[in-house]
Amino acid sequence: MKPNPNLDELLSSFIDGELSPRQRTEVQRMAAHDPAVARRLRQLQNCRTLVCSLPPAEAPGDLLEQIRQSLERKTLLQEQPVAVRRSAGVVHLMFRRFVAAAAMIALVGVLGVVVYQIVAPVPGMQPLPPLAVDSNPSKPVPDLGGLAPATVVDRGFSGRLELATAAFTQADAFVKRAVETYGTVETVRPEMAGDRRVYRVTGSRAGIQRLVASLGDVWQEFDSATLRVSESEGASAVTIEAVTPAQMAEVVARTSTEATVETAQVYAVMNQMARTMPGREIAPLMDDDSGSLFASDPIPMPKLAGATDTNRTTHTPPSQGMAQASLTIVLLRSSK
Amino acid sequence: MYLRAANINIDDSVLVQQSQTGDTAAMERLILKYQNRIYNVILKMCGNPDDAAELAQEAFVKVIESIDKFQGKSSFYTWLFRIAVNLTLNHCQRSSRTAARSLDAEETEPNGETARVLRDCLSDERAADPAAVAQSREICELAKKCLLQLEEPQRAVVVLRDIEGMDYAQIADVLNIELGTVRSRLSRARSNLREILESMLK
Repeated sequence: MKPNPNLDELLSSFIDGELSPRQRTEVQRMAAHDPAVARRLRQLQNCRTLVCSLPPAEAPGDLLEQIRQSLERKTLLQEQPVAVRRSAGVVHLMFRRFVAAAAMIALVGVLGVVVYQIVAPVPGMQPLPPLAVDSNPSKPVPDLGGLAPATVVDRGFSGRLELATAAFTQADAFVKRAVETYGTVETVRPEMAGDRRVYRVTGSRAGIQRLVASLGDVWQEFDSATLRVSESEGASAVTIEAVTPAQMAEVVARTSTEATVETAQVYAVMNQMARTMPGREIAPLMDDDSGSLFASDPIPMPKLAGATDTNRTTHTPPSQGMAQASLTIVLLRSSK
Repeated sequence: MYLRAANINIDDSVLVQQSQTGDTAAMERLILKYQNRIYNVILKMCGNPDDAAELAQEAFVKVIESIDKFQGKSSFYTWLFRIAVNLTLNHCQRSSRTAARSLDAEETEPNGETARVLRDCLSDERAADPAAVAQSREICELAKKCLLQLEEPQRAVVVLRDIEGMDYAQIADVLNIELGTVRSRLSRARSNLREILESMLK
């Protein structure tokens, strides 16, 4: 017999007792008179009985406990409303950002102070004599329409070297001989004033470089050596405490005024650190023969000789177009 | 002893009222009263004991959380089963593909004796007692697998009617469908179930 959905629905409801008394009577009558209906009714009844007879399953014994634990977990999670937890997270994030920004600002401030201490002018320092000038100030700068390449301007070198020594007479004689040997004769103008000698020397950078290098032979006699370098007249100077001949030669050897000042600043900081650092870790570097943190050609150390030395070249006046260099050497008698 | 016996027979509505006032003991009694029936219905619908235990737990937690909102428009019994069946139907829909693959993998042919007994049961001429037939472990497993091959809506009405024993009105209330829909869906479900059983015997 082909299944009839309407008949099946009627028979299924009959099996479940969901028909009205009249419908029940009708189904009973149909089953009694139609074997196919009776057969279908038995099929559906057997199928239903099979499902109904499936053994029931019992819940796990700890289901109640599991429910209790689940509720406790949820209660713990919901002690703080979601909005409160979210706002707490936002506040925490903002606090971290604020701390990071404050740290950055503080770091920039500290760096600014350090840089200022390096480049700030020394209080009470006399401005250096106006000895540094442009190599050719009268030469007009060609107008390249704003496309001119960056040029390094060498306005020369201007420095003041203060040396204090107890062996004043011996040191003065040596410095005087060195100045006469390596400085330009007509520009040597020693000023004698008791326990103070002032030598103003002008010449080329190479000449000044040889002069300061030559002082290395008598350097151990100086109790203190301070070099002040200024970019121009009236400009702030850079002071290198405890300067060494090699450092001075390095500063003078720079080929531009900016490089000279930068080199002086580096040595000023380095010497300052060497004096203030507890372990003086930088001292070995400073005591190195090279005495230099820069890659450069070796400084030609002059041979100490008398005024008749045939190798002397420093009496030659500065050549046309080369920047002038000037160094004021102040020799002081120390009480030590 | 008398008091405990009296408590067991307390009507659901009283226990629900006590639960709504914060009486956890009353809620525990409701859970203990219905936990096996809820678990059995869920297991017959989803076919996995672990999932059934988890879904039963979830259903009771939901009941506890929502007991304050229960207004008594329907009985607590149908409200409880509505929550449990809805959770189970959602779960079955989510994992229907996995379940189908699992069934395919586990599909086994009944052996000769089982097939003969089942065929006799389904036939109308020499019908053995179906209740006695269902005591066979192998036939039980076969019937459960056939049940799981029904579509979820049809499976739900068969389980609620033939396993839980709800009448059509209660089924309509639990599934939130019309009475006529229950009638037609149940009829189609039984017809399909018989066809599935017969196809497994071929």
